[in-house]
Amino acid sequence: MGLSKRDKKSSSTSTSPCAHFRSAYHNCFNRWYSEKFVKGQWDKEECLSEWQKYRACLSEHLDDKQLSRFLEAEAAFGSIFQGDSENPV
Amino acid sequence: MVKAYTQEHVYKHPWERVTSASWRKFADPENKRTLSHILEVDTLNRKLDTRSGKLYTTRALTIHAPGPWFVRKIIGQDICHCIESTVVDAQSKSMQLTTRNVSLQKFIEVEEKIRYDPHPDNPTAWTVCRQQTSIRIKPLSALASMAEKVEQKCAEKFMQNSVKGREVMERICKYLEAESRGIAL
Repeated sequence: MGLSKRDKKSSSTSTSPCAHFRSAYHNCFNRWYSEKFVKGQWDKEECLSEWQKYRACLSEHLDDKQLSRFLEAEAAFGSIFQGDSENPV
Repeated sequence: MVKAYTQEHVYKHPWERVTSASWRKFADPENKRTLSHILEVDTLNRKLDTRSGKLYTTRALTIHAPGPWFVRKIIGQDICHCIESTVVDAQSKSMQLTTRNVSLQKFIEVEEKIRYDPHPDNPTAWTVCRQQTSIRIKPLSALASMAEKVEQKCAEKFMQNSVKGREVMERICKYLEAESRGIAL
């Protein structure tokens, strides 16, 4: 997720090296969300392998400083997520 | 000082479709031209509560926000990083998104909250979207002396972008509607 100028220039295609994994994950997620999750089938998490590949790529390519800043912010945001930690999937 | 703006919009599509569209809003390549201020969106975290049917997602948004020249001069950058947290409750049918900036925080804090709920008048076919944006210029920052002007510019930009966002949402909803008809046939 480079913040360099080239990202701004290419508005139609992402230059992120994880774009491929990201779209694979999105495709899977969007299908699961529309066809299962909102229809009451939320008992099983799907797209796990897509997610793992995407996540691994992100942690490799997200600038370290950037990632840690995001994660700090996320931790500060944690209050939203509290109260449901008993059942991590 | 805090400025808050609220907007409401009714989508004549069911909640399931509208929230599906919301997930696709930044991801579909054809929308990137319309929403060109969104440079990158990456999912950082996701969690599904398989008992309650709640889905928690955290995404990182990289936004191109050049702002007026006098702001650019002070801030010295035109890229802003935001964190978006989403909770979808499939059981009660609600989706809540909260977006906050993580960069430029010493100058400004922007928080945008969006909620999608089934419309009370037609809960199975319509969806109401409520959006609240609050903008806070840090009182002792270099922007404080021109806070009012910055807030105004900022608010104008938000309004413009949320109109674009709605257009994109309507377009995706139509597409999903056509797709679901196709499957139904």
